[in-house]
Amino acid sequence: MMQKLGDFKLPAFFNYPPYFTLQPVRDTREKQIQLWKELILDYCRTQKVFLILLEEEFPLFSNPVIERSLNNEARETFLSALVSEGRAEWLDKGHRKCLILWHRIQDWADIILGFVKDNGLEDSVMTVEEIRLGIESRGTELHGMDRTILMRALKLLEHKGKVAIFKGTSADDEGVKFSV
Amino acid sequence: MRRRPGIGGLQSAAVARDQYRLLGENVAKLRTDLMKEQLATFRSQLEDFARKHKNDIRKNPTFRSQFHEMCAKVGVDPLASNKGFWAELLGIGDFYYELGVQIVEICLATRPHNGGLINLQELCNLLRQRRKSNREAVSEDDCLRAISKLKVLGNGYEVISVGKKKLVRSVPTELNKDHNQILELAQAQGFVTVDEVERHLSWTSGRAIDVLDILLEEGLAMVDDGHRDRKRRYWFPCVSSISSSLGADS
Repeated sequence: MMQKLGDFKLPAFFNYPPYFTLQPVRDTREKQIQLWKELILDYCRTQKVFLILLEEEFPLFSNPVIERSLNNEARETFLSALVSEGRAEWLDKGHRKCLILWHRIQDWADIILGFVKDNGLEDSVMTVEEIRLGIESRGTELHGMDRTILMRALKLLEHKGKVAIFKGTSADDEGVKFSV
Repeated sequence: MRRRPGIGGLQSAAVARDQYRLLGENVAKLRTDLMKEQLATFRSQLEDFARKHKNDIRKNPTFRSQFHEMCAKVGVDPLASNKGFWAELLGIGDFYYELGVQIVEICLATRPHNGGLINLQELCNLLRQRRKSNREAVSEDDCLRAISKLKVLGNGYEVISVGKKKLVRSVPTELNKDHNQILELAQAQGFVTVDEVERHLSWTSGRAIDVLDILLEEGLAMVDDGHRDRKRRYWFPCVSSISSSLGADS
């Protein structure tokens, strides 16, 4: 029996109750954490989830079929494991908001560069919102991406001298000048 | 024989003994020769049989297992070496060699989940999934034979019986009687609680907790505190079937 969340196929361990309890024995816990890390990344990548709020409902945090859910400690442990590998970032000191990086910031930066080259935008100017939601990015991974992550990737590129970020005409958007 | 006195009597007694012995040896030799001959006939017939039913032996697991039984009765081990008549005729050594390698792979792949103890039935299912492309069917008997051949690799792989089920062990953990009883109890639901262990096995709670702790440490059990009744459940992946899809993915 393969359980599904929308079009996402859940792994078998998701139906095995003890995986919802943080394991006391170190080796077993490490294996458990590994499985959960993969599941969270996989799910977020395919469902385009960028932000997980620890205390809110999240489809992976509970399994009604077997009546189990992860407690906050387990949630924080699994997400912290992702953070320590650079695959997530806590947005607050209290560890309640977690940014999921199924691509690392560096990888997102490379994707942006690829997008720029593919579309001949080497010397162009775009707004951040255009990159996220404009026609050009449609069908690419950039489309609909999280603004915080996009800004991080752009800042990295700015640091390398590949883009210049400047305040746009409207107060809530910034412009990007590519110089790839 | 009536004993006669004197040297002559002793000598004739010795001669008679020699004659008896000679006769006895002759009879024994005759018997052995006859048996050897019978065995040789039987073997050559077994070979003829094998040659004739080569395809059945290869493709039909029931037939194969019966053939193995027959071989064992005549003292022929088709798996003894990969060279020689049997291997060449049947390619049967390669078949079990391949199974052995695949069994090792499956045991390694599922070890993170089950701690190195897997249900034989499940191992077979995984093996079949893995061998989907091969036409030859694989039975539990074949698995057992392949595993018995793995023993030459050291005391890693062993088949143990727990209750009605057979489990394949791929880690050198020693399971004692207490462990076995808990595993047997867990077969009903896939898990046990301390209460259940106390009740069914008439143990003190100290003993139950000690043994369960050992099984946790060995990676054979996992705890589950999520049930409504708030009672901790100890799950045993080696007796549940959950690992099937886990193993298949990796």
